[in-house]
Amino acid sequence: MTPPMLSRRQFLVRSAAGLAILPGASALIAACSSSSTKSSPTTKHSVAGSSTAPPAGPEGLIGTPGNAVKLPIYDDNKAIADGLKPEAGPLTILNYADYVSPDVVKAFETKYGVKVEITPFDADSDLVEKVRTGALTGDLILSASYDTYYKMVAAKLVQPLNHSYLPNFVNVLPALQDPFYDSGSKYTVPYTLYALGLDYRTDEIDPATVAAKGWELLWDPKYKGKISVLNNDRESIAAALLRKGIVDLNTTDATVIAQAGSDLKELVASNVKVTIDTYKNVPTDVTTIGEGYSGDMINAIGQLPQGTDAKVLGFWKPEIGKLAVNNDFQTVLKAAKNPVLAHLFINFIIDNENAFSNFAFTGYQPALAATSADELIKRQLVPETLRSCLLSNEEVAKGLRIHALPLDKAKLYETAYSTFNAG
Amino acid sequence: MFAAPGVAWLLALFVVPFYAVIALAVGKPDPIFGTANPEWNPAKWDATALSNAIGRIFGGDLGNVMLRTFTYVGITLVLCISIGYPVAYYVARSARKSRGAILIALVMPFWISYLMRMLAWVNLLAPDGLVNRFLNFTGLLGGPKNWLSGNAVTVVIGLVYGYIPFFILPLYAALERMDGRLIEAARDLGASRASAFWRVTWPLSRQGLMAASVITVLPMFGDYYTNGYLSGSPNTSMIGNQIEYYLHGTSTPQTGASLVLILSVLLVVLMAYYLVSTARAARTVALR
Repeated sequence: MTPPMLSRRQFLVRSAAGLAILPGASALIAACSSSSTKSSPTTKHSVAGSSTAPPAGPEGLIGTPGNAVKLPIYDDNKAIADGLKPEAGPLTILNYADYVSPDVVKAFETKYGVKVEITPFDADSDLVEKVRTGALTGDLILSASYDTYYKMVAAKLVQPLNHSYLPNFVNVLPALQDPFYDSGSKYTVPYTLYALGLDYRTDEIDPATVAAKGWELLWDPKYKGKISVLNNDRESIAAALLRKGIVDLNTTDATVIAQAGSDLKELVASNVKVTIDTYKNVPTDVTTIGEGYSGDMINAIGQLPQGTDAKVLGFWKPEIGKLAVNNDFQTVLKAAKNPVLAHLFINFIIDNENAFSNFAFTGYQPALAATSADELIKRQLVPETLRSCLLSNEEVAKGLRIHALPLDKAKLYETAYSTFNAG
Repeated sequence: MFAAPGVAWLLALFVVPFYAVIALAVGKPDPIFGTANPEWNPAKWDATALSNAIGRIFGGDLGNVMLRTFTYVGITLVLCISIGYPVAYYVARSARKSRGAILIALVMPFWISYLMRMLAWVNLLAPDGLVNRFLNFTGLLGGPKNWLSGNAVTVVIGLVYGYIPFFILPLYAALERMDGRLIEAARDLGASRASAFWRVTWPLSRQGLMAASVITVLPMFGDYYTNGYLSGSPNTSMIGNQIEYYLHGTSTPQTGASLVLILSVLLVVLMAYYLVSTARAARTVALR
């Protein structure tokens, strides 16, 4: 999954990747980063008494809607005890760049008298790789995804949560209080919500047309040179699948995936951009319509040329049943030096008022019941015209999920995407 | 004994890194994380990913992206020579008072991150950017042109802009070292300015030109963010984009390493010409 709020994150990706300017540099970096680590444990898990049976492998920890997973609690990786005093800090948070409000962080520092340090990372895969090799240390991951969390659980890189430190957990959206990817919320607490849809210019495409045609518009030659899809294999292929009415976004049918790749390839003739920058490209009219995240257009308001009304921005959210949703979540690292503070920070983030402050900065809807569309609009944090950017509890509960796949199945999507992206 | 520093240099900066890339291409990904795990033991090498990558490059779905990469780099090199040679020549041979200022101007781009310079181009080439405004104002365009969506010209301009300082500076160094009396002698013997250039300056600058070309071309083959920023379209994607994709969180990082190996082998041909040519030139000097 490519998480939201990617502007500065993408910049970081490419900055760091500047090292890889030579043809072999990125491969060399990959070799060196792995060279100091042994292969991860695979099948043998020591599991505490009351938890689920040990999975056959890490892939047994992948939860799916309708088949929720109870993550194991290992004997050598248990939650912290009740009633511990907060550590002296500093609390180190691993997070996407600019994906938490500095005001909220400052308020936490003031309340608990500790320093908070944010260490940015640029992609889930980099995060996991750096945490497991020890290149990145910290207390809390603020924006993990369920693409990678199960691997971190299996490798015991994260620790179970002690909910006695999380009284605000009751604020969490009901649909995510017992999520399929972590039944009982043993390791994770939701952070933000988002959906896949179409970012577009309302002054160039009638919203009624978008509502009627949906994903098909990306294949409309009328918008040649003005379209984009996300630069993520699973999410771009999801657009092609949904266009054909296929709602199994985790299909492992090689024929279906290959066909979706071919459908995407048709867009090459329309000069499709493959990017996460729709939140910049749509307001500046580089593209008219593109696959994007529901938070994009809220962030796009700040990218509009001076004097342009925010009404030119639109987000098409598919109806329930065809709507793909997702959420980031918070989790505490096993190697945390300040696990109590990390719990307190999670609790602080899911405080209703703090969540509103955080939203005002990040533009991505907190996964709380209080931060509903009505309330965010009432507080003038989102214009009415962008109500579609916000998700309801029902949409989150019934939304389609793009979940992690076993590596051999993920390869099918990767090859299809690579072929498309080769032009 | 005298060769020891050179051997150490070669081992540390070429042999070991190259072996690491090979180990990655023929290794197996981590069973949990899917991340790259190099296989250092040749007895355990698995060349499946490498052979798949070769199949995809030569006659497969990645052939066009390799061809496109060579085309873009070739065009960019021609433009770098066309623009960079006169500039380097002027600075080295003609500019006297202004030489320092021009050299500072040439070095100044290095003060700013390559990515920032690309971002500046994104703003300049945006639909309401300065380039479109100027072209529309002068009547050269009848409306805003979308430079940033799959436009090969934009990507090549970006490559030229990004890499030309790397081209000019080594070439300037070579031209500046040239003995000016040789050109004067040619003129004294009746050669026209053009003839003196083609018979004296050009042959003497060829080694510098090749060094500048190699320094420019090699990193350009691995470039992926110029296309990413200025186009982002599969129509203009380069092999570096594929390498970056496979090495950045896919389940088959070996494919990315394999593409690096294939590219390296292809580049060896170019490098071999450069090395042979340099050795020949060195022998000629020694004979004199």
